[in-house]
Amino acid sequence: MMDLSHPTQFDLDQLANVLGTPPDAPLAMPVQVLETRAVTLLSLLRLLPVRRIRVGH
Amino acid sequence: MAFTRTLALTASLAAAYGGFLLFLQFGAADGLDPMDILRSGLIFASTFWLAWGAAQAMAGLTTRPPVRPDKQGPLTARCVVLVPVYNEDPVGTFARIAAMDASLRATGQGDRFNFAILSDTRDDAIAQKERIWFLRLLADTGGEGRIFYRRRTSNRSRKAGNIEEFIKRSGAAYDYALILDADSLMEGGTIVEMVRRMEAAPDLGLLQTLPTIIHARSRFGRTMQFAATFYSPIFARGLAMMQGRTGPFWGHNAIVRMRAFAESCALPELTGSPPFGGHIMSHDYVEAALLARAGWVVRVDDDLTGSYEEAPENIIDHAKRDRRWCQGNLQHARLLFAPGLRGWSRFVFLQGILSYLAPVFWLGFLAASIAAPVFAPPIDYFPLEYWPFPVLPVSQASKALGLAIGVVGLLFLPKVLIVLDAALRGRTRGFGGTVRAATSTLVELVFSSITAPIFLMFQTRSVLQVIRGADGGWPAQSRGDGTLTLGDAWAASHWIVTSGAVVLGAAQWLSPVLVPWLIPVALPMVMSPAIIAWSSRPGSRWLFATPTELHPTAVMDQQALILRRWQGAAVSPIGGAETMVTDV
Repeated sequence: MMDLSHPTQFDLDQLANVLGTPPDAPLAMPVQVLETRAVTLLSLLRLLPVRRIRVGH
Repeated sequence: MAFTRTLALTASLAAAYGGFLLFLQFGAADGLDPMDILRSGLIFASTFWLAWGAAQAMAGLTTRPPVRPDKQGPLTARCVVLVPVYNEDPVGTFARIAAMDASLRATGQGDRFNFAILSDTRDDAIAQKERIWFLRLLADTGGEGRIFYRRRTSNRSRKAGNIEEFIKRSGAAYDYALILDADSLMEGGTIVEMVRRMEAAPDLGLLQTLPTIIHARSRFGRTMQFAATFYSPIFARGLAMMQGRTGPFWGHNAIVRMRAFAESCALPELTGSPPFGGHIMSHDYVEAALLARAGWVVRVDDDLTGSYEEAPENIIDHAKRDRRWCQGNLQHARLLFAPGLRGWSRFVFLQGILSYLAPVFWLGFLAASIAAPVFAPPIDYFPLEYWPFPVLPVSQASKALGLAIGVVGLLFLPKVLIVLDAALRGRTRGFGGTVRAATSTLVELVFSSITAPIFLMFQTRSVLQVIRGADGGWPAQSRGDGTLTLGDAWAASHWIVTSGAVVLGAAQWLSPVLVPWLIPVALPMVMSPAIIAWSSRPGSRWLFATPTELHPTAVMDQQALILRRWQGAAVSPIGGAETMVTDV
């Protein structure tokens, strides 16, 4: 039993960490695929001709 | 559902086409030029957006939520309530958790629920307070072993990553996760009912509630609170009618099936850098789309009450939050062609993008209208070669007036119909009676008309910033009093004042006939600092009354009680006014 009225007696951070730790019950979360090499709006925009500044000869 | 969608879409397109034709005829009165076509196109896009909102309201007004079977008995499933926090005031947030915990225990099903506070706080001083108040929360609720707290060392992928980290570590211990925001509050009975509905529908992956805004104090906050409480259930009903199995996820006050969420919702980082690449900002829409892609049903149940959230108290805080949402929605342009998504999910992305582009269309329309005289061809009074008398162009002003009336109608009619519906069904009783609700609606209409140009400017700026490549980052939410001085308001909106003055000046110079039409837009812009400061202050309690304001619910009372007790404690919750003893 700990008396919380005297916080200097112990490390509150440590206590919060110990009491706060969630259960250890891992669950896999496979990363989803959202991008493909298919045509997107932005890639369409990239197809537009762009004026490039050329320097030198 | 398919019929409602088709009808709404057809009606919206028809309204947009009508607007397009009317404006084309008006613009072509003095000869058709490219500016007329551009303006008519902008009118088409803007009118479609307005009509789509109105169609949603009509769908909501003409249908009722399905009756769900009333089930009782003990729950067998285990559910964790996730509360992500990010530099929030721990006293307020943890008081809500304590109130929800008490509310859940009062249902007799409290043993099936755990809470997990998922801290992404970067400010060490706030994190220190979080740990201290967590111990106080445990002591007050006897929550050891039921209420957890952990702080991530790295806040990779922000809120979505925060939840993902918890699921990877502890997800298998639970059947369901109720995802909240730091300012969320829910009745224990509502949470239990959500678990029951998940149990009753094994193909349901996510169930969203419609959170009601509470605890607003300022004029702006209470207007938003009234609008969200009075109109939103009707719009949500319309949405529920159209969405079918592909409903929305608004990021909080929703329950997910843990297995479904884990299997389907780990988000990748998008290639490229922010704002269009990197971490997915508006993760909730994407998670809903991914659940639907994996075959799970995503549903919003608009009949579920007892779900609350808080909202910004002033226009500036609202605009800051909106800046984040704007970037998140525009980023969805990258996902429009993501593999395997349902058509409706893609439409929802498009709808979100359009909602931020619509103000730009309106502003583009105004600018094009002011500039139009410059591009207009000179009037030819003698178009017929052998006709000696001048032919005066026929005025098409009535068409422009008709269009303006149509646009205003699309904006106002749904709200007026919602008042009538609420009066007929007795829903206005919760808002202090029909007279009070109708007066509040009228004032809300005026207020939203005055503030619309200010929001139009903020949203346009946000869109331009995102397109320019500026990342808005992840600023902490401002919660609390929110009162602004005129100086604060001026600092945030002086550029709107300048823009308003430029609009009026340009119109006076190029097209003086437009000035009276532009006054409703330009005047609020010029007066924006005064409007922003005035609306951030507390207003009349008679106007904008809501059911939860007039009769706070049990969990709201509990939260207020706990908050008063905690705020009454000494600066340190431990070793201050009260002595706490806990077993470790």
